[in-house]
Amino acid sequence: MKPVKRKIALIIILLVGTIVACFVYNDAFLYDTTIGRVISVENKLSHEEEGLNGEVERYYDQALGVLILNGKYKGNTIDISNTYTSSGVNDERYRKGTQLLIALNSSGDGGSILEKKRDVYVVMFFVAFIILLVLVSGKHGAVVTVSFIINLILLVFSLKIYDSYGNLLKVTMVVMLLFSVLTLLFAGGLHKKTFAAILSTLLTVLMCSGIYMLTMKTSERIPYEMMDYVVNSKDLADLFLAGTLMGSLGAVMDVSISIAAGVSEVVSKTEGITVRALVSSIREMGYDIMGTMINVLFFTYLSGTIPILVLKIKNGYTLYHLVRFQLVFETICFLIGAIGIVLAIPVSGFFTFMFLGDVRRRYKKIILEKEGGEEDK
Amino acid sequence: MILKLIIILFFLMLFVGGDRGLTSFFTLVRTVIAFIVNVYLIAWGLPAVLVTLVVSAFLIAGVIYGQNGWNSKMHGAAFSAASIVVIIMVTIGPVLHVAGISGYNEIEQYEEISMYLSANVSISMPAVAVSATVLGVLGAVMDTAVAVSTAVNEVFVNNSEIDRKSLVKSGMTVGKDILGTTVNTLLFAGFGESIMLANLFLKNENTFYEIINSKALFQEISALFVAVMGCLLVIPLASCVTPWFIVRENIKR
Repeated sequence: MKPVKRKIALIIILLVGTIVACFVYNDAFLYDTTIGRVISVENKLSHEEEGLNGEVERYYDQALGVLILNGKYKGNTIDISNTYTSSGVNDERYRKGTQLLIALNSSGDGGSILEKKRDVYVVMFFVAFIILLVLVSGKHGAVVTVSFIINLILLVFSLKIYDSYGNLLKVTMVVMLLFSVLTLLFAGGLHKKTFAAILSTLLTVLMCSGIYMLTMKTSERIPYEMMDYVVNSKDLADLFLAGTLMGSLGAVMDVSISIAAGVSEVVSKTEGITVRALVSSIREMGYDIMGTMINVLFFTYLSGTIPILVLKIKNGYTLYHLVRFQLVFETICFLIGAIGIVLAIPVSGFFTFMFLGDVRRRYKKIILEKEGGEEDK
Repeated sequence: MILKLIIILFFLMLFVGGDRGLTSFFTLVRTVIAFIVNVYLIAWGLPAVLVTLVVSAFLIAGVIYGQNGWNSKMHGAAFSAASIVVIIMVTIGPVLHVAGISGYNEIEQYEEISMYLSANVSISMPAVAVSATVLGVLGAVMDTAVAVSTAVNEVFVNNSEIDRKSLVKSGMTVGKDILGTTVNTLLFAGFGESIMLANLFLKNENTFYEIINSKALFQEISALFVAVMGCLLVIPLASCVTPWFIVRENIKR
């Protein structure tokens, strides 16, 4: 994109983003639930409690004056009381200006807080994300956004199908096929190396699920009931497997497309390259990708667990317990993803080599070269 | 099962990456140890934000210099990764704090776990949650920074007459190329993690309004968005900073 065009696009996005954010900030009239804004806050220390290790935890009472923004009682001010603590594990401290979702009582003069109104922040993040994407990468950023949105719709749609028909694993297989074909076509365009990348992604994920099944069958049972957000206990194992494979899919695609691009570059630049030289250059590329990608997965999966880990350590849990019952899901997700990354390197190298035409002729040439080499000796 | 998977991973890395695969594996071990130390330091009551900054600095040094050696291009990568961590902590941290991402979300509140764990820990959970989010950015930011710096250096080595402006430009070009794939990695990891939550929302037939305001959703997506933003921010920074480091070292010689 030309700089001027990009500037115009950016201004438009900025404008639309600001309007949308302002709209969402004032969208109380769209809600059936009562929305209120905190207009006055009075905090008072209520009491202190002692924790397990002698820590002092302060409990505060908040008297909130809340202005109702929608519904029958719009414009009224009600008083709501709230309790918060100094660590805020199980409660929330509300400040002036915070918008709240409220369950009003029938007479409309009091109520209880359901939730903070967070839609503004969700929209704000999304707008900031798009602006940065366009700012940094222009047209490419738009493609990434489109593929992101399509994938998101696909995910929700597939879960709906699963919800009504059951059999999660079949649905997951189909969806992952669609995911990888779509995403890689978006990233690589219609090209032989893209097809190589798609094939290698699918094969690698298949191998990952094989490894998963194999180790699962030969090990003790995973305590699925300890997972977050459990709804019904019927197909927890399938859900976990689906999540794990989907999590590794992105990383595997990433590696596959990088290696495919690299190999096709090498093959097209070096006429009659030997298999051995190609293997060593795949190894070289693979090493560069492997270490950092595995790091990315590690931080993405495990950093989210820090708060609950801190809480559990404070409650006297040992590291052994934490790894076995709390971290086990994230760790398995991470390890399967990491194995996928490493596996994808040789697999995608092989497929790209096979796909880039003239394989037989090339192979003959290699044999000839080898024979030639031996004769020389 | 975890142990078996670790062993499989170890041999695969050894087989595919050779000696350097081994180095990668031990870098990973170091990262895991740093992560555990980070959690324990916070649990001992040290300020979470400070601990995270120190551990991040340690991790950046360990991963970037540990895997790629001590040289001027890696100074560029390390500097830009560290700056991004600080920038995100300062700019996005307060937003997360105001939006309320910490503590149990509305679903966990009704689970057993919140009943039998003592909540009297006297550690500021908002600070812990913000630190966790920032730490989640680290992997992707380091990955991108190293890729950009390496590419800029490669261009400079091949053509040392090149001016700084074109160096910055080539850094941006490479950055764009890796961006799409890194975003995909983060995105699908996010999908995989939130599949349980999405399923729960569907099963409970929550309304759209309940979902978009839910703390559980916000906890999941904020980590994802912040990581992507970190990645995006580090590309221009690394492209601008690395040429400066490389050229400076060249002048010294």
